[in-house]
Amino acid sequence: MSRTPPEMLQGTVDLLVLRALGWEAMHGYAVSRWLEARSDGVLVVDGAALYQALHRLERRGWVASSWGISENNRRAKFYRLTRQGTAHLRESTAVWHDYAHAVARVLAPR
Amino acid sequence: MKAPLSFRFPWRSRRQIAAEVDAELAFHLAMRVAEHEEHGFTHADAVARAKAEFGDVEFTRAYCRRQDEAGERIMRWSERLEGVWYDVRHAARSLRRTPAFAATAILTITLVLGVNTAVFSAAHAVLLRPLPYGHPDALVAVEIKSVGGYFVGTEGLSPPDYQDYHAQQRTLTDIAAYTDGTETWLPAHGDPEVIHVARVTANMFNVLAATPRLGRGLIPGDAAAGAPDVAVISSRLFDRALGGDASRLGERLTIDGRATRIVGVMSPDFTLGRRADLWRPLDLRSDLGDPGRTRKQHWLRAIGRLRERTTIAAAGHDLALIGARLAATYPDADSNRFAVPVPLRTWMVGSAGSGLTMLQGAALLVLLIACANLANLTLSRALDRRGDVAIRAALGSGRGRLIRQLLIESLLVALAGGILGTAVAYGATRWILGLNANALPGPYPVAVDGMALAFCAVLALGTGLVSGLAPAFAVARLDLQQTLREGGRGNSGGRVVERARRALVVAQIALAATLLVGAGLLVRSFQALDAVKLGFAPDHVLTAQLTVGGARYDSAAAVNRFYDAALGELARTPGVVAVGAADVLPTQGSSGASMRIEGQVNDEANLPNMAYIAVRGDYFRALRVPLLAGRLFTASDNDSGAANVAVINETALHRYFPNGAIGKRIHIGPVATGPAITIVGVVADVHAEGASYPVLPALFPDHRQQAWESSLSIAIRTRGDPVAMTPALRRAVRNADPTVAVHDIATLETVTRASLASRRFALALVTSFAGLALVLATIGIYGVLAYLVAGRRREFGVRLALGATRGSVVTLVLRQGLIWTATGLVLGLAAAAAERKLLATSLYGISAGDPVTWIGVAVTLLAVVTAACLIPAMRATRVDPVVAMRAD
Repeated sequence: MSRTPPEMLQGTVDLLVLRALGWEAMHGYAVSRWLEARSDGVLVVDGAALYQALHRLERRGWVASSWGISENNRRAKFYRLTRQGTAHLRESTAVWHDYAHAVARVLAPR
Repeated sequence: MKAPLSFRFPWRSRRQIAAEVDAELAFHLAMRVAEHEEHGFTHADAVARAKAEFGDVEFTRAYCRRQDEAGERIMRWSERLEGVWYDVRHAARSLRRTPAFAATAILTITLVLGVNTAVFSAAHAVLLRPLPYGHPDALVAVEIKSVGGYFVGTEGLSPPDYQDYHAQQRTLTDIAAYTDGTETWLPAHGDPEVIHVARVTANMFNVLAATPRLGRGLIPGDAAAGAPDVAVISSRLFDRALGGDASRLGERLTIDGRATRIVGVMSPDFTLGRRADLWRPLDLRSDLGDPGRTRKQHWLRAIGRLRERTTIAAAGHDLALIGARLAATYPDADSNRFAVPVPLRTWMVGSAGSGLTMLQGAALLVLLIACANLANLTLSRALDRRGDVAIRAALGSGRGRLIRQLLIESLLVALAGGILGTAVAYGATRWILGLNANALPGPYPVAVDGMALAFCAVLALGTGLVSGLAPAFAVARLDLQQTLREGGRGNSGGRVVERARRALVVAQIALAATLLVGAGLLVRSFQALDAVKLGFAPDHVLTAQLTVGGARYDSAAAVNRFYDAALGELARTPGVVAVGAADVLPTQGSSGASMRIEGQVNDEANLPNMAYIAVRGDYFRALRVPLLAGRLFTASDNDSGAANVAVINETALHRYFPNGAIGKRIHIGPVATGPAITIVGVVADVHAEGASYPVLPALFPDHRQQAWESSLSIAIRTRGDPVAMTPALRRAVRNADPTVAVHDIATLETVTRASLASRRFALALVTSFAGLALVLATIGIYGVLAYLVAGRRREFGVRLALGATRGSVVTLVLRQGLIWTATGLVLGLAAAAAERKLLATSLYGISAGDPVTWIGVAVTLLAVVTAACLIPAMRATRVDPVVAMRAD
């Protein structure tokens, strides 16, 4: 199983994390599991990239955190999207779609 | 209203942040290890795999900590800002709930800041703005200081003085000279118009390092013999006469009958201190050709530029040496006098400088009083809200927060006052300058500009801080537990607060007393000036200036023809009692001349010197100056071959003619070249230089015989309203010569008053400042006493119930107020005494220790304050003991 591909852009990790938290509030470990499951194991974000992204997003005010109890009764830090985060997720998703379409069109065999 | 009691987690420290990041990462790794163990790895393997998958743990740990710390900082700041914003809204709400307080406070600050900003705008334009020349700090005015002889004071240079100092001085790169005057501009279409003209030596623009906006400045060749007439004009005249069209530079304008080519245009802010629309070369050749006559004619204003690395003191030393040499060579004209350099701005601004400084000082004093008032009002409000404050403090709202809230309230009031005050300043400067164009010594661009706004902003901020901090600290030091126990209704206020209030009231009274003494002294000296008998009757007299010059008036005969025609027609006009003309009207100054008296031994170093004022027509009758002996001019004096005649004043008679003057013959000038003049009459003294100057000995020659000054002032005494004579005056001049311009038409009363205009103006301002100060201080002491009485109602009730008389209660309250007042008065008078020297320079006829002023101020202040204190004192006696006891 490969970890985060090095060419995976920082912005992409941020976007994926936001998308995960847009689903529901969860702790960092759950985010990594959710991403793996959603992408059928293709997108595997390593812990370093994940936590850097989470703290970066929190500083920007796009996610907020609070301590809670995990499913196996341990203290864990839960993240949720803020209102600005939701708005940013919507915008970035649209941009990413346009970008992906454009790349796909260019790469398509005629 | 709800306090912002949000129970958020307290701010996180660095260590907490580190611990949280560690815990978070540890949780992730532990979950991962558990996952691997489920898949059958040994614990050691599972740990190794989890770490490997994670990537750089240490870097991530550091990265996350940094991010969190930054986030924490942002959070703290935004929370602080939110707190401030909350307090601002809170303050605005509480001001809205007490509109009377808000209105009073804002109105006071508006007025006071408006006044300060307006005065500053003027002071800035006159005293601080750089002069419109290159390297203006090296420029000096050169004037003659006379320390003895016929005149004591400073005056301009005479043409020979200028020539000698110019040639001999070693400390200035150059000296230029000029003289102001008026000439007539004949536009292509329309009536002739008088324009202000400065005739300047050709090096003037060089010395000033002033470059024209268009074309060239004047150059030495322009003043040479036979050179064509050229001139540089102002932007204003350029726009009016040449349509502001640069391609029309070089065209000719008809000035005083001569076609004058316009070679340059100056920028709009260029000035030599007074208004001028045209600068033309000054030709001194004829004056220098007759130095015997002209050495005492001090009419040149001179400006020099200091050489590099030369101090003004060195220049002064050099000029004084030259002065001593000149005094030895020309003892009559130059004894006791020498040239002095004066920084150009000081010289241009003149007495307006100290006047403006004084005004600004007075305005700032008023501001301080207003601050004290506002501080006291704020304190009272804060005490009213003690209960509220105590509850908040009990709930954990820190003292810093309390101070901040009170401070923000004061700042809000000051800010509102500052904004409105700017508007007031803008209006006030317009209005005052519109009303009194001569209030300032020259064409200064007074405007409420960026500097004035910055000044107002700084003052507003200072006002808010000063008037908010004192009460804020006083309240913060209140014993809040005590307050809570009293149910927030007690009125003791605490010793600190009481002391603060007392100090503020005393300071207010002291400041007001200082200001009142200053204003009082100025009022008294103005009264003394106004009471000076000028020696003529200014009522029912219309005056006007005529500008008669140019090529058509190069002979005395032409000048005489014009005045005989114009004055003759006016004299025949119904309603005219008498009409005459003179070089210069009374109170407008005069020029002096030295003379020899036939049959007397003359002291060569100290020849008789008299003010020289040529008059014609019925001048003395028009001004109602009585003839004391001999006769006035008659028609036969104008016969060909008739002797030259003159009249002198009483002072000249007493000083120079101990054996009677009638029939005595004199010669003008130290080198008696001219024909003899016979004295035929003696008239009463007139204050020719203005009320604040002593009467000089004066000689009034018959202008018909001495017509070299062609532009005269006319004086017409009328039976009815003098202003109604204006059309007749214009008609008479037009009939005599339609190209002669009539200007400055005004009643003699206006002219006389104009000589006191700037004094009157400053007086009006200072007096109103002092009045404002008195009102503010009175309101202040009234407010504090009223509050004090309200707080001690119960005590007064008990006293009255126990049999105290009403009189004793009144005395109790009054005594309190009077002790404060007396303390303030003593302090204020002491401060005024300390600045007595400063005041003495602007006084006339009284000393700075004038007892009427000092006693008057003390009595007025005591009377006004006592009246203000009586109101709360009377209220104290009306307390119903039963009601007062029940109130708590």
